[in-house]
Amino acid sequence: MPRSLRCDGGRDDESVDAGFDSDAESASEPESDSVSSAAANRSRELDDTYIESTIIMATVRVVAPFVMTFGLFVTLHGADSPGGGFQGGVVLASVLIMIAFAYGTAPTRDWIDPNAIGALIGGGVLLFAAIGLGALALGGNFLEYLAYGGSTTSKYAIELVELGIGMTVVGIVTSIFFILSRGFDVAVEEGGDSE
Amino acid sequence: MVAAFELLLIGFVLVSALAALALEDVLASVIAFAAYSLGISLLWIVLQAPDVALTEAAVGTGVMTILFLVTLARTVRPQTDRLFEPINLRTVLLVVVFVGVLAVSVPALPAIGDPTAPVVSYEVTQHYLENAHDETGVYNAVTAVLAAYRGFDTLGEAVVVLTAGVVVFVTLRREVFV
Repeated sequence: MPRSLRCDGGRDDESVDAGFDSDAESASEPESDSVSSAAANRSRELDDTYIESTIIMATVRVVAPFVMTFGLFVTLHGADSPGGGFQGGVVLASVLIMIAFAYGTAPTRDWIDPNAIGALIGGGVLLFAAIGLGALALGGNFLEYLAYGGSTTSKYAIELVELGIGMTVVGIVTSIFFILSRGFDVAVEEGGDSE
Repeated sequence: MVAAFELLLIGFVLVSALAALALEDVLASVIAFAAYSLGISLLWIVLQAPDVALTEAAVGTGVMTILFLVTLARTVRPQTDRLFEPINLRTVLLVVVFVGVLAVSVPALPAIGDPTAPVVSYEVTQHYLENAHDETGVYNAVTAVLAAYRGFDTLGEAVVVLTAGVVVFVTLRREVFV
């Protein structure tokens, strides 16, 4: 059984099964997908700081949508109230970090699509630069929002720019957290780096 | 009443900063640093800078503490047998002299909210405050300056955030973003 490879062998099987879906799948089909479950267990081996807690899981399940809404609120209302892209992006990234606290870093890392994070990071800066270059194409200066129209269009351009900054900050903060939490162990790198 | 609250806040910030310096255990030092960051963000609110306070609370108290704790979990937390670190007197003298030299410039600063201060009465500031809504369509003058009047700097800041992520990525020799 893959679970016997875990470095903390003292945990109950059913309490871990209640935690996340991927573990239940690998428990029911141990032989069929041995390569992918071995890779998943390798990443789970490094996650020896996870402590299962029903209170944290239930709280995060309830609170996460509201925190995400608040993060979007702070990002989009940066135009008329204190806030903006940097603050809202950090609040949005904290949603993913909360989920990693509640359910474990390894299963959350398996769930997040790295291409989506890469798209957020690059897309945010590209959106900002595209709005600037678009103003140049319409005859104004670089990042001159008035080239798009009146002051109302300028406000929409500023909100899009804040959204772009927020996207980049979400991607980078999430990425730094998960990369740091994977650690840097040369022996594991050589033996198990299947990417 | 307000003066008492500000003094209490400054006292809290000083005590938590000294605790972050003097405690020997790294974990305790990180938690004291988070308390210091929270006190500083409250100070920003007292100084009437809510954007900076939001950023300090989110990044300083929130994300930086979490990243420190994750790094501690992945590296070594050294064993400690005493509560406070040994203090090097020469270093303390150097720091006191440095802070003293900086503190000499504090009486020259204008009072908070002084309408005759140079930064307020300067004509560029007056132009921003009067024309921010008409020219850019937003009510928040800070966002108007950050995103519209000085938008190129903000593009540079976004690229700096991107570069920081790429540097962490390359230093830890990863090939995927997560």
